[in-house]
Amino acid sequence: MASETPSSGTWFGSAEKVGRLRGRIFKWTCLGATVLTLALMLVFLLYVANDAFRPFSADPGWLATMGLTVVVPIALLAGYYYRRDRSAGQVAYTALGLPVLVALASGGLWLLFRHIVSPREWFVLVVSIVVAGGLVVGHSRVRHDAVTERLVVTVLVPLLVVVGIPTVLPGLGQFLYLLPVLPNALFSLILGFVLPVAAIVGWRVRAVRDADRDGAIAAGITVAGGLAGLGLGPLVGIHPTSWFVFAAPIVGALVVYVEHVVRNDKGLSGLAFPVVVVAGVFAGLAVTQLLGFAGPDAWLNMDFLTSAHDTDPSEAGIYPTLVGSVLILLVIVLSAFPVGIGAAIYLEEYATSQGRFGTVMELIQVNIANLAGVPSIVYGVLGLAIFINLIGMGRGTAVVAGFTVGLLILPIVIISTQEAIRAVPDSHRQASYAMGATKWQTVRNVVLPESLAGIFTGTILALGRAIGETAPLLMIGIPATVRIAPDSFLSRTGAMPRQIFSWSTQITTEFRYGVLAAGVVTLLVVLLTMNAAAIVLRNRSQQTQ
Amino acid sequence: MTPTDPSPDRNQRRVATDGGVSTTDDAESTSDPTEADGDSEKLVDVSSSFTVSDDDEDRPQAAETAIETRDLDVYYGDEQALQSVSMEIPEKQVTALIGPSGCGKSTFLRCLNRMNDLIDIANVDGEVRFEGKNIYDEDVDPVALRRKIGMVFQQPNPFPKSIYDNVAFGLEVQDEAVTDETVRRALERAALLEEVDGRLDESGLELSGGQQQRLCIARAIAPDPEVILMDEPASALDPVATSKIEDLIADLSEEYTVIIVTHNMQQAARISDKTAVFLTGGELVEYDDTKDIFENPDNQRVEDYITGKFG
Ligand SMILES: Nc1ncnc2c1ncn2[C@@H]1O[C@H](COP(=O)(O)OP(=O)(O)O)[C@@H](O)[C@H]1O
Ligand SMILES: [Mg+2]
Repeated sequence: MASETPSSGTWFGSAEKVGRLRGRIFKWTCLGATVLTLALMLVFLLYVANDAFRPFSADPGWLATMGLTVVVPIALLAGYYYRRDRSAGQVAYTALGLPVLVALASGGLWLLFRHIVSPREWFVLVVSIVVAGGLVVGHSRVRHDAVTERLVVTVLVPLLVVVGIPTVLPGLGQFLYLLPVLPNALFSLILGFVLPVAAIVGWRVRAVRDADRDGAIAAGITVAGGLAGLGLGPLVGIHPTSWFVFAAPIVGALVVYVEHVVRNDKGLSGLAFPVVVVAGVFAGLAVTQLLGFAGPDAWLNMDFLTSAHDTDPSEAGIYPTLVGSVLILLVIVLSAFPVGIGAAIYLEEYATSQGRFGTVMELIQVNIANLAGVPSIVYGVLGLAIFINLIGMGRGTAVVAGFTVGLLILPIVIISTQEAIRAVPDSHRQASYAMGATKWQTVRNVVLPESLAGIFTGTILALGRAIGETAPLLMIGIPATVRIAPDSFLSRTGAMPRQIFSWSTQITTEFRYGVLAAGVVTLLVVLLTMNAAAIVLRNRSQQTQ
Repeated sequence: MTPTDPSPDRNQRRVATDGGVSTTDDAESTSDPTEADGDSEKLVDVSSSFTVSDDDEDRPQAAETAIETRDLDVYYGDEQALQSVSMEIPEKQVTALIGPSGCGKSTFLRCLNRMNDLIDIANVDGEVRFEGKNIYDEDVDPVALRRKIGMVFQQPNPFPKSIYDNVAFGLEVQDEAVTDETVRRALERAALLEEVDGRLDESGLELSGGQQQRLCIARAIAPDPEVILMDEPASALDPVATSKIEDLIADLSEEYTVIIVTHNMQQAARISDKTAVFLTGGELVEYDDTKDIFENPDNQRVEDYITGKFG
């Protein structure tokens, strides 16, 4: 020590004894990289949004009114939350984001009801599932001790009831179709959708509040919100069935969330945020209409979302490909997720790292990591070779597209699920085993519940990747433009990114700027909402751990 | 059923598990997939003839032997962690295992409920007799064994579930009925009920460290095991919480055989009836009544260790 500081008077460093210059340069360079990335993204987003919405084509009066009724209140509230009540800020963005997210999911569902399963088919399906569930539960009550038998019943009864034996015994659904009276679409949706949603909401509220009455109230509000469509729907020009599909889940989700906020009694004032936003939008629209201010002539509007591609740019829309993308996502969720999550559970919880088998497992692990980096066009070739040429499935169908893109995100799903499972502390597994739990009980009761939020986060992010993939779609023959929405998973379908790509090659400028931008924004909105959901989910699970 | 077990509710519980609902059909070996189902039944069958363990060695204690180890060797890979440990652990008493860190106390404890099976490189040689059966026999299902021998770890490790669900966990996995009453009784016996009454649905992670550890004890005793293993249960706790746990251990020994690892010699002296001293290399150097160990140990190394000359 003494030798390093010969003159004890100057040891405290006034003469730049401790060099910091390199450190500072490094820090500023890193900051520069961060700012550059963000700025590039922001500029791009603004540019596209400007093209898609063309805000400056609106009357200045319209802009001013909207600014006064929407932007100013939002800014004021945000400032208040930031200064006074941070937890209310959190409540505020969840309370606004949750309905948006649910609306998005409902939108997907609505498309399914419109094109794939009719409300009546859905109703029959729900009845079949309820009957099957009832049978399984009843059996386990009556014969509680017969574990093997219960396993067989749990697998076979739902299959028999819902699907039946092909060509021998029809499923319950077929019998239901024989009934002389079957509810029409409206009642099918009330019975098969609104009521189940309300039941789930009520059951959940009842569980957390431990009071039957509160559960009933929650369910009642949800039903009321759904059924309001019968009266209100026609007034505002929305078909009651559409109202059901959107309103019941949104109201239900809000009921659950408001109950949560009220129960924790934290950030209550945040609940005002969505009310202010919605009221502001409506007030602004009413005022501009009254004063005759014209809104912006946006490319991205309701017409764009609900119509098909057209040679006239101002008529062109994205609707059929939106349906196609939803179908493809559904196929991915149903195929790649179970496979990927199952593989991850096996690799993490069951595969040993010892001996020759362990070496094989290690090899597999390394290869999964490599597969995550394989170019997506290669997956396209793979899908073309396997699903179309080898198995003989139809070109350009939602199943093939879903399987191919599912294959592409499979490694990502596996890896992120593995990470989520690995985040479960080993001490919890030890505790479970020490309680005399079997491996299966440990996985089911400890590992999966604790890693579920992480698994969801990872898989939603993977889904976000999937929805924008274009190259594999080119390979498996997704058509460049479609004008009618697919009516099944096996018919030819479009997809949003493919449609966007073909707009970019049109000669008319309006396509390459306006319509293209509107498509990109639609895609981005879907994607960013999903990512936001994943992030919120991750934050919440981090808070509880 | 078991002559040594007078409490009626325990007998009832046995009937329930012996019926084989969970242990036969549901049980999977946690480590060795080749072990057939139904092994547990064998283990339990033997328990009805409790005093099978041979009596040719003389017993200083009046108490029955709960667990007996014979020439227990444990290896982690090539490294030997326990050297030929033989000891008889008396029933319904507190047995303390002390010794410097790394001497194999935890390893020994994990042998008793076969938690070592979960460590791939661990190898166990020798016998551990529990209720007259060598638990390392081929036909013993470690899952069934662990249902009779509960364990509490060094770091409190409650699940991120509600207090209620934490306690109910063991009952659920062992296919026993979960009632409010059983859960509350377990919390009561773990001296925690008073502090958490009325908020059983809160997360177990919101409790303090000492409360978490008592929650883990409640979780371990809820399914009513025979033996409770504790691996330094108080070493992560403050003195007040520690003394609560110590009081609790004394109470528990009225109903359960308690085997506790500790590196705190005062603690061992305070709470245990018998003490085993392990020294470096995994040797059991001396095992005797706690009083004798602390007042006049036979072995010079033990005396050095206890008086703080090393370790
Ligand atoms: N999982 C393991 N893998 C390899 N070696 C281990 C493992 N657990 C313990 N050991 C070794 O066994 C010896 C005894 O450890 P342990 O039983 O934990 O001692 P104690 O509990 O008395 O501190 C130590 O040398 C330790 O390094
Ligand atoms: Mg230890």
